[in-house]
Amino acid sequence: MFGRMIRGTLFRQWKKMLMIAFTIALGASLASAMLSVMLDVGDKVNQELKTYGANIRVVPKSASVLSGLYEVEDGGTGGYIREDELGKIKTIFWTYNIVDYAPFITVDAALENGEKVKVVGSWFDHHLSLPTGEELDAGLESMRSWWELESGAWIDEQKESSGKEAMVGTELAGKLGLSVGSRISLAGKESSDTFTVCGIFDAGGDEDNEIYIQLDNAQALGGLDNKVDSIDVSALTTPDNELAERAAKDPKSLTVAQYELWYCTAYASSICWQIQQALTDCVASPVRQVADSEGEILNKTELLMILITILSLIGAALGICNLVTASVMERSQEIGLMKAIGAYNGSVSLLVLTEVFVTAVIGGTAGFFAGFGFAQIIGHSVFGSSIALRPMVIPIVAVLVFIVTMIGCIPAIRMLLGLRPTEVLHGK
Amino acid sequence: MKKRRMFIRMITASLMRRRSRMIVALLSIAIGATILSGLVSIYYDVPRQLGAEFRNYGANMIMTAADGSFTSADMEKGKKAVPSAELVGAAPYRYENIRLRENPVVAAGTDPEQARAASPYWLIDDGEWLQNSGELLIGAKVADSFRLKVGDDIELSFTPEAEREAAAENKTADDNYKTFRIVGILKTGGTEEEYVYMTMGDLEELTGVSDKIDLVELSVSASSDKLGEYAEDINLSVPSVHASLVKRVTASETTVLSKLQALVLLVTVVVLALTMICVATTMTAVVAERRREIGLRKAIGASNSSIIKEFMGESMLLGFFGGTVGSVLGYVFASQVSIRVFSSSISFRPLLVPITIIISIIVTGLSSLMPIRSATEVDPALVLKGE
Repeated sequence: MFGRMIRGTLFRQWKKMLMIAFTIALGASLASAMLSVMLDVGDKVNQELKTYGANIRVVPKSASVLSGLYEVEDGGTGGYIREDELGKIKTIFWTYNIVDYAPFITVDAALENGEKVKVVGSWFDHHLSLPTGEELDAGLESMRSWWELESGAWIDEQKESSGKEAMVGTELAGKLGLSVGSRISLAGKESSDTFTVCGIFDAGGDEDNEIYIQLDNAQALGGLDNKVDSIDVSALTTPDNELAERAAKDPKSLTVAQYELWYCTAYASSICWQIQQALTDCVASPVRQVADSEGEILNKTELLMILITILSLIGAALGICNLVTASVMERSQEIGLMKAIGAYNGSVSLLVLTEVFVTAVIGGTAGFFAGFGFAQIIGHSVFGSSIALRPMVIPIVAVLVFIVTMIGCIPAIRMLLGLRPTEVLHGK
Repeated sequence: MKKRRMFIRMITASLMRRRSRMIVALLSIAIGATILSGLVSIYYDVPRQLGAEFRNYGANMIMTAADGSFTSADMEKGKKAVPSAELVGAAPYRYENIRLRENPVVAAGTDPEQARAASPYWLIDDGEWLQNSGELLIGAKVADSFRLKVGDDIELSFTPEAEREAAAENKTADDNYKTFRIVGILKTGGTEEEYVYMTMGDLEELTGVSDKIDLVELSVSASSDKLGEYAEDINLSVPSVHASLVKRVTASETTVLSKLQALVLLVTVVVLALTMICVATTMTAVVAERRREIGLRKAIGASNSSIIKEFMGESMLLGFFGGTVGSVLGYVFASQVSIRVFSSSISFRPLLVPITIIISIIVTGLSSLMPIRSATEVDPALVLKGE
């Protein structure tokens, strides 16, 4: 009988029930869309902030002390990182947080007319096949997104015939009268070679006076086989907190539990620490200009999204609550009739609650998927990538919808219980 | 005249008598209006606030000497091209090779307060920020290699230009000396760690050469197009100075900031659309339950148009009140967000109040129009009979 009554209401009054389901769906979709976006916004913004370039710089231990200060003429500061160890960066605990990295080797070379220029060897779109089976294209093309190509193209390392190509800074190119396709011969300490200019870039900094070539070419020029003098690493990091700051000073000052927590959180300092352990004799330090600012902006954006989400959750909750109250109250006549023919208060309330609950389940499920769709629209149009489905969104939305609809029923049920059947049926 | 009085009385009486339902409706309209005005104020304020956060990346414009001589007067002239409200910091730097325990070190003279404003990401690892003359802020790498710590007194020396030849000929040069106290150790993760910083006045005293600047770092809170205009202005109006943008900072800021703005815009649109539909369904439900009342009115001779007019008047009045409450609450919400997230106050937008109220009225009006119309089309007898 109970089941039949419920089914009866749902089918006979499907218009009203549809309305309730629709509102609940709206509220649920709002909640799930905002929660999904909020939970994913940190990762997405973090990715976007990678356009600022590397947030960790790795230098050899001996060079980190004073190499820049003495301006040693022969360039022989002694310390180098070994190129064959570069792959090890992708073997640390936080390997998946390292999105990009590029090694650098700087050599001085003489042009044909004897003028000295700074030549930098690096990766451009270097293809890495890691022992873990991961494939990665790393290099300057993605790490120097602010470089503006005035003409030509980036050096393509993956091209079959990619040989001796060079990219020249705009100021140097202007001075030497170079354009795409010109050939320059560079004489390094060990050997000399001729390169074809394939691109001219404007970096808005010191790089405008430098020549960029592939790593192995530069190593050959300087006779520095297997040597690299710095590595730029772009990693997704968690904003620093007090623990990270303490750990950055001295990881050994932490207790075991704190150390575990620090090591297993993607702080810039713990990633640096792990890189230092992976590579021989090197010092990795966060580039504060990028790392610190990233933290600030990430924290602010996340907080902003949390507050907007809270507001829309409140809005969704009150919207559902209101409608449920309004539409249950509307049925006072029907309930009055039930009570007149002898229904108990308890069974009437149970009937109303079950009806609303069934509607809420239908509406909530539909709303959840709709909301996830909205989240995808936001993700694709803003960040150009889809927003991950976080499992925790489902229980949050379910509990929210359940509590809110039940709360919405309370005033209505209280009113229904207070009804006097005669008055209602009489139409007062 | 009488008719209007009657109209007003009917509306207010109906609102008062059915208090609990009307509160439900009013609440839902007010929530919708709160979300509307709150999110729109946030949307308008976010670019400015986030832009200020991006200044944490430091200088986005630099001025260098165009023809060799760059004085502080030139810097002041250059700074004038940028509106002072947008100028976060303008730090002059002058670099000289000095000697610390007979080892060469690069010393930078600057204006400590401005340097701090222009490079907020500089971290004082130990000690405090440079403030007064006679104090020295040293880079972490310098501290490391010379084993210096905060509180140490150290003597720096500089060989003036005139004495350099003497030094080259292995005669003892007549150096300038000055003793400094180390007040802080600077960590940046960049080349700044290899320098020592002192006030401009100290460097002038040490070198004996005054009023010379190598570089000015400007941190300006403006879009990159505007920055480009300022740089051009400076280049035209101050011929001895060359201003250029720090591309890495400006280009990246444009990319990231536009994404964040698009994010807030889309979120605002989605939330608003859903909330407005929510408000509309609630209004529809509230009006739809009054079919009997409509039937009764029709039965005693009210015309359709007068019923529609009256009901619309009622819901628009609700919309007006809801909108007013909502625009106040929305402003409160937006300013709370602004204080909590960006720790700055939000500007009150007077125009938003009438807009919120008008949109609330339109939404409530439209959402009640449909059920009223369908109710008026029904035969009163049927409605009254309860079918």
